[in-house]
Amino acid sequence: MSAIVFESVYRYFTRDGKSFPALDGIDLTVADKEVVALVGPSGCGKTTCLRLAAGFEVPTKGRVTVGGQPVNGPGPDRAVVFQQFALFPWKSVEDNIAFGLRNQGASASTRRERVSAIIGLMGLEGYETAYPHQLSGGMQQRVAIARAYVLDPEALLMDEPFGALDAQTRIVMQEELVRIARVNPRTVLFITHAVEEAVYLADRVAVMTRRPGRIKEILDIRGVRTAERWNEHERIEDVMDLESFVHLRTHIWRSLREEKIGAVP
Amino acid sequence: MASSAQRPLSKLETLVLGIIGFATFLGIWLAVSASGYVPRQFLPTPFEVLARASHLLTAPFAGATLPMHLARSLERYAYGVALAAAIGIPLGLAMGWYRWLDDIVTPVFDGLRFIAPIAWVPFAALWFGTGIGGPIMIIFSGAFPPCLISAYRGARFVDGKYIEAAQMLGASNLRTIAEVLLPASFPSIVAGLRVGAGLGWQSLVGAELIVASAGVGYMMVQGQSNISTPTVMAGMLAIGLVGLLIDVALRQMEAFVRRRRGLA
Amino acid sequence: MTLSAPSTASTFPRLRVRPSRRFLLGAASVSVLVAAWVLLTMVTGTLSTNRFPSPPQFWQSARQIMTVGYADATLLGHAVHSTRLVVMGFAVAIAIGVPLGLLMGWSRRAEALINPAFLVIRPIPPLAWIPLAILWLGLGDAAKVMVIFFAAFVPAVINTFAGVRGIEPHVVEAARMLGTGRWRLLTEVLVPAAAPMIFTGLRLSLQASWTTLVAAELVGALAGLGRVLNMAQQDIYPAMVMVGMAAVGVLGWATTRLLAEVERRVMPWLAG
Repeated sequence: MSAIVFESVYRYFTRDGKSFPALDGIDLTVADKEVVALVGPSGCGKTTCLRLAAGFEVPTKGRVTVGGQPVNGPGPDRAVVFQQFALFPWKSVEDNIAFGLRNQGASASTRRERVSAIIGLMGLEGYETAYPHQLSGGMQQRVAIARAYVLDPEALLMDEPFGALDAQTRIVMQEELVRIARVNPRTVLFITHAVEEAVYLADRVAVMTRRPGRIKEILDIRGVRTAERWNEHERIEDVMDLESFVHLRTHIWRSLREEKIGAVP
Repeated sequence: MASSAQRPLSKLETLVLGIIGFATFLGIWLAVSASGYVPRQFLPTPFEVLARASHLLTAPFAGATLPMHLARSLERYAYGVALAAAIGIPLGLAMGWYRWLDDIVTPVFDGLRFIAPIAWVPFAALWFGTGIGGPIMIIFSGAFPPCLISAYRGARFVDGKYIEAAQMLGASNLRTIAEVLLPASFPSIVAGLRVGAGLGWQSLVGAELIVASAGVGYMMVQGQSNISTPTVMAGMLAIGLVGLLIDVALRQMEAFVRRRRGLA
Repeated sequence: MTLSAPSTASTFPRLRVRPSRRFLLGAASVSVLVAAWVLLTMVTGTLSTNRFPSPPQFWQSARQIMTVGYADATLLGHAVHSTRLVVMGFAVAIAIGVPLGLLMGWSRRAEALINPAFLVIRPIPPLAWIPLAILWLGLGDAAKVMVIFFAAFVPAVINTFAGVRGIEPHVVEAARMLGTGRWRLLTEVLVPAAAPMIFTGLRLSLQASWTTLVAAELVGALAGLGRVLNMAQQDIYPAMVMVGMAAVGVLGWATTRLLAEVERRVMPWLAG
């Protein structure tokens, strides 16, 4: 069972001897194979939440567990997809993807097999020997996702994964992600500024307050998606046109706006 | 496995480690010197060097005290760098602006660039003897390339939008160069000046080692001839210190310019 | 210097310079200089040939040193000698300097410990080591290599350090996330990521090596291009001085090109 659990997580930063709270008591559970989107005003600490789950930072109070184990540093069981891709520019596409497998000691044949499988899944055929700089932003992000997926991680953590892409590529990638999740479901926590993206992709959307961040409310999307049969619509723009979709989106916008008003820069 | 490259150290930790590191360095030096493993003649203790340096502050050696030698060095240095800047910067700007000028000058520059400035010394000696012209020429050849290149790059790679805006606002060619191109290139120019000043200082040392009758480099050569290692080391210290001061001063100026511009 | 700033070129089309025109202008200016050289030395005598050689004198000296030799060896002999010393000093400097830069860049502790000592060494111009080197090691090759070492060492350390510090933080985090062990992190992440800056440092080191070598040989040497220059100056033989300078320039250029080739091959992933 690979759930991500935040148990009363507090995170304080110290600067010049003073303590600033970034997270003010986060309780959140991402259930096994559930997709949860974290949205909130700028600076609310959503990235911090992700980094805590990833193990790049440590909570000041409380703890984060993944699959029942407390998080103790970064690792391939909690694969991260970064906004700026963070691919290794000096490695080819297939070497980038194979890198994590090599660290796990996978044999050459295993690596070849799994890498080519994921390349197929992500639509990267023909680009195996290309270098990142030769690829478009969307392709690079596919490689980043492939690199994460190929490790069969317990949890997938995505930090504004499509933030660096142009609007159209973004939509294509969102559809891609839905397709992949159907083929290969796993526990996902992702952060986004785009509310539509959150509503389209997630099973639940957690809205955070402004800094210091707390969970303001959690909306159940999956229920609505099933009830209103969003999956019957092939195209993203058709789903986003549905009244139930718009209703959810507007609700979240309003919730966020409440947080932004009176926000101190 | 936390990489400490990611985590900045506290000021205290930096200070303590710095002191430990420096003390170790001095300690090793002192130990090797005092033990006599290396003849004292060749490796004086740090204290001996400092003592010699302070002695030279007032007592003359090779014709002048240390401050006087430094003054002579700085004099020719200033001329050389000023000349390099006075020619290099405007020329670089012009080359960046007028493509045809770039095409004319660049081949010549590229051809001469690979001749290490120091290789000009014998030439300078033939031409200027041991007069001031020689060292100035050497310093110039060291300081000139960075001044030229940075001015060129500043002008050449200025954001085209500024020039377009200026034209749209009806500025004449001259005004565009003076009030748009030059200020826009300023950060690059200042950076180049700093590098040029540094290279100029290094070239000066070289020139004085070989062709001079005064200056810190000359003092060091005399020290070497007289097998006075403390003198040589004191000279190195002085040169390093002055070079450092010049660099720090120019860095401050550069930072100031960048801050004013909102670049940093 | 062939990149164009499109706006300036297109908005001020005083001279729309096509590539061939550019080449012509360059060739023209070089030709003008050569013509001036000939004119001023051979025709009008404005430049006294005691101070500035004429082209035939230059050529004659070049032939002399290439065949009969000058200052106890032929041009090739001197060039080989000089190049050998540069390579030795350079190699030792980067063998120590690059790892040191990597260490200081990666570990803030190491940086804090080593920095003070480094700050003492760093501002000392490489040439300022010459008198000390001569005191310690005499006028032979060892002293030259020592000075070259100090000259090449500093840029190597500084640029490697900057290269490591300049690595995009997410790249390192991604590597850690992918479970990378220490050694692999160093060899497959840190070094490649810092490689462009490391090579900048190597280029600077090489430049510094040549400058320092020539200077050291000028001060006193038994062989090498610097010695050629020195003797030619003492013999008041400006043509030979010029030949020496040209040789220095050519060798400097050649080694730099070699390094650029290595750089290109080692880093095939760079754009452009």
